[in-house]
Amino acid sequence: MNETATLARLRELFLDNPDLEHTRWLALSISLALVAAVLWLVRRRRLREEYTPIWVAVSGALVFLSLRLDVLRELTRAIGAWTPSSTVFFLGELFLVAICLNYAVRLSRAGLLIKNLAQEIAILRAQMDRLEARSAERERA
Amino acid sequence: MEAEPRAGRGVLVIPAFNEAPRLPALLERIAAQGLPLEVVVVDDGSRDDTAALAQAAGATALRHPFNLGYGAGLQTGYKYALEVGAPWVVQMDADGQHDPVDVARLLAPIERGECDLVIGSRFLEPTGYEMGFTRSLGRRFFTGIARLFGIRVTDPTSGFQALDRKVLELYAGDAFPSDYPDVDVLVTAHRAGLRVREVGVLMHPSVRKSTLHGGLRSIWYVYKMLLAVWAASSRKRAPAARSRTHGGPDERDRDARAPA
Repeated sequence: MNETATLARLRELFLDNPDLEHTRWLALSISLALVAAVLWLVRRRRLREEYTPIWVAVSGALVFLSLRLDVLRELTRAIGAWTPSSTVFFLGELFLVAICLNYAVRLSRAGLLIKNLAQEIAILRAQMDRLEARSAERERA
Repeated sequence: MEAEPRAGRGVLVIPAFNEAPRLPALLERIAAQGLPLEVVVVDDGSRDDTAALAQAAGATALRHPFNLGYGAGLQTGYKYALEVGAPWVVQMDADGQHDPVDVARLLAPIERGECDLVIGSRFLEPTGYEMGFTRSLGRRFFTGIARLFGIRVTDPTSGFQALDRKVLELYAGDAFPSDYPDVDVLVTAHRAGLRVREVGVLMHPSVRKSTLHGGLRSIWYVYKMLLAVWAASSRKRAPAARSRTHGGPDERDRDARAPA
């Protein structure tokens, strides 16, 4: 019982640890750097506009949590974690799993389209070969 | 054997990947049968002269720009057959395992309108065909899986098949697998109300060293096939199934339910 009480107290200490100003600024800088990277990639045409909303949303969430560390703290309490950083890691992992699944779905779709396209090319090539052969025959005649 | 498509004529589809050493002999044997069909070799991105040899033998060559897989090769043949208005397709492997002598035998039930899909089975009649222990175990396992869905076949992995236009239309869809179309597509066809039948055929041992289902790939094959069978059985039935189910499934399924 004593041990449980000590652990609960320890968790409270972690959660009530005052926010460090430089942590806030670091998080804010990383978030803004992510937004800048997304915009730069779009400008250089290395990232298509339709893939940006998810990254803009992530950047926005990071900016929000950097400015409102109290929300992150509440979130930490709600999910039963000990420190806000574990919450960030946990959410990050969830995000990575979701984005991997999303890209696997997109990849499957792209694979199907490529297969259909290759099949279409094969059929069209055969038809073209046939037309060319007929035209050559006509020319000979 | 003619390279020109003609309306009303069937298509013999041969998917081939690096089959230059074996293809000419097979095409010669097919030509010797004098069958009124268009022979279509689907060259699945071969690095050898498969397509050129096929054309030289008077067959139509459909060349994939890169390797897509055995199932995709077959499907290209189906799509081509639909495009040229072929009433049926017979498919056979390029490695010489399947005997062109049996093509007419496979086709007969379709031409009589008795069924939509005919599988050439190595095991329906005693032919002396021998399969390795692991593959034989796999065959029995998937025969059992097919039976769970009411499909009684003895050779669910046979690539020697005849298909009518209804099957072609179903198999030309996006659900058809690019790699191994076996029990999963049989389940899809059966659920769509298409009639499946087996006929006994003679099969020669494959001269290829590796098979689609051999070695470590067999583990992947079992996993993938079970998942595909589950997916096929849980999808909505194809429209053909709904219209045909009203006609009564008992008569239609008689052949597929014949004792294995």
